[in-house]
Amino acid sequence: MTGPRLTAVGVLTGWGDGVSALPADARTAAGARRVVPLAAPALPGERFRRATRECLLGVAAVDAMLRDGGLDRQAIAGPRTALVYVTAAAYGASNRAFVAAAGGGATLHFPYTAPSAVPAEVAIECGLTGAYVILLGGAAATVDALWQAGMLVARGQCDRALVLAVETFAECEDLYARGRWLAQGPLVEAAACALVVGPGSMATIAPASEASALEILVERRAGVTLACGPLIALALARDAGEPVARVTGRWRRRHAAIDVAVGAPDAAPAV
Amino acid sequence: MSGAGARATGRDPVAILAAGVTTPVGADLDAFWSGLVTGADGITTIERFRVGDLRVARGGEIKKVRLRTGPMPRCRASALLFAAADDLLARVRLDVAAERLAVVVGTALGGVEQLEEALGGEPGLRSAAGALYDAPAHALARRLGARGPVLTVSTACASGATALGVGADLVRAGLADRVVAGGYDVLCRFVMRGFDALRSLTRERVRPFDRRRSGLLLGEAAALVLLAPETAAGPRLGRVLGHASASDGSHIAAPDPDGRGLEWAIRGALADAGLGPGAVDFVSAHGTGTLLNDRIETAVLKRVLGARAHAVPVNSIKGALGHTMGAAAALEAVMCLLASREGLVPPTLGYEEADPLCDLDYVAAAARAARPRVSLSTSLGFGGCNAALILEGAG
Repeated sequence: MTGPRLTAVGVLTGWGDGVSALPADARTAAGARRVVPLAAPALPGERFRRATRECLLGVAAVDAMLRDGGLDRQAIAGPRTALVYVTAAAYGASNRAFVAAAGGGATLHFPYTAPSAVPAEVAIECGLTGAYVILLGGAAATVDALWQAGMLVARGQCDRALVLAVETFAECEDLYARGRWLAQGPLVEAAACALVVGPGSMATIAPASEASALEILVERRAGVTLACGPLIALALARDAGEPVARVTGRWRRRHAAIDVAVGAPDAAPAV
Repeated sequence: MSGAGARATGRDPVAILAAGVTTPVGADLDAFWSGLVTGADGITTIERFRVGDLRVARGGEIKKVRLRTGPMPRCRASALLFAAADDLLARVRLDVAAERLAVVVGTALGGVEQLEEALGGEPGLRSAAGALYDAPAHALARRLGARGPVLTVSTACASGATALGVGADLVRAGLADRVVAGGYDVLCRFVMRGFDALRSLTRERVRPFDRRRSGLLLGEAAALVLLAPETAAGPRLGRVLGHASASDGSHIAAPDPDGRGLEWAIRGALADAGLGPGAVDFVSAHGTGTLLNDRIETAVLKRVLGARAHAVPVNSIKGALGHTMGAAAALEAVMCLLASREGLVPPTLGYEEADPLCDLDYVAAAARAARPRVSLSTSLGFGGCNAALILEGAG
């Protein structure tokens, strides 16, 4: 069986734009910081007046992917592009803002508390009206999302699929400080988007017994980016000239793997 | 009724072996069905949390969650899922290796009460991981002993339908031999405040498709089904024939005024099933009771079903349960299958006066004797989420 094929990828992290901005060692680079934040991009337009930071990051990640692929928004607009969004935590900030407003004061527009707000803003901004799936979880959920994307293409429900992940932590740093995953390294805010097309065959996901070399590399260089990790891994593999990336991702007790072709179109992965 | 005999190019159907639920009108599948067909009203004054400062203080609240085994979890969302799972397991054995059992559940809110608690400074390392929206799905997986894929889907109020579709995909792809799939959501102060602020809640009764409809009321529930390959042995409740989703790409909260996303989802689900619109015997509508949703949904159904639109019975069970958000589509899918098995379509509680803009054959007043074989279930949610399921009852 063959899996999905990557044609473009955009990565934004607290370290900067693209994987070239990643330090050699995230823990060393973070120093005493528990969270490495990613500033909200300045997107023009009155339409964004209510949008949250994570929504803006989602749109910016898609734009970064388009720049990477030399594409414009027209290339992905319409019903033949699927959108698969993943996050473990990017609704925490809006939920906290809504909870905090219970005592009075400015109230966040309630629909922005939903995880679906991020892909909604992306879909509105880019004119995406195709298949639409939103998964919650960390890196293992992104492996599932890559599988979903490949399958949607393979079964003809779309011609291409965006796999988008956004993770923000700053507003809930005190909460995540109590989480055990912090022991592994700094939480690094990130937004990443991969454009996936299929060679036409079905992808598969498999249990992973151990972290792939790419997963280890992402954790070392980027830090803890949860759902964004597998997409950063794709960018690193592509830049390293790998034809096929074995992407693994952990979340809670699960470890999943998928092979993604990241090189030339004839380098379809065997899964 | 026309049935699914004309299936041509669809993908493999997926068997639904059994279902389990917990709802405001009944604590298990039998009570749920009995409540629906007798016109039970699950809407009551909310008692579990403070509502005195809200415009609307009613909803489909489950007054007592009951578990057959084990301690009651602190997280109410997990408790609802466990109750539905208990009901499911009372009807069917999982009969599968742990590694081949997957869990896919949809939710709009996860365990948001736990997040509120954690943000309020509740101590403990576990509170951070437990506060995330996907925690209840993993709690359910642990309770079931599932070691296959565990997915949480959150396409807002279409989550239950998307979860059933993703679950069916896992079976079709051979990635699991059994999938416990469905949806849940909890009626809590967080979501009541939100919908109250949006002025979406009615002070009257919920009246889907009725001329006097004035908004929705929220509810809480959980619904799970056991999915298996079509070749699985034993009795079954029905089959998933097809599913699809689509984004509106038009507004953060309101549905697309022309219902383009919903239409794409329905047409996609029919194509996935290898069926034409002529095969649809019954429509379980999203039918929230808001002015906009019901009008848009009616228009879309007329476009898709064409000349047959007025001959296909349509219902909404949100008048009885309230809008149970992530559970809604899963509950409605189960209702479709029970309607096929029992030869009875539940009424649309609250529907009494026809609206010229909503002029389909809504099942009103009392349950209707009919045995739909192929059902279409539609769902919409915040963020322009649309999903459709094509289901076939075992009859």
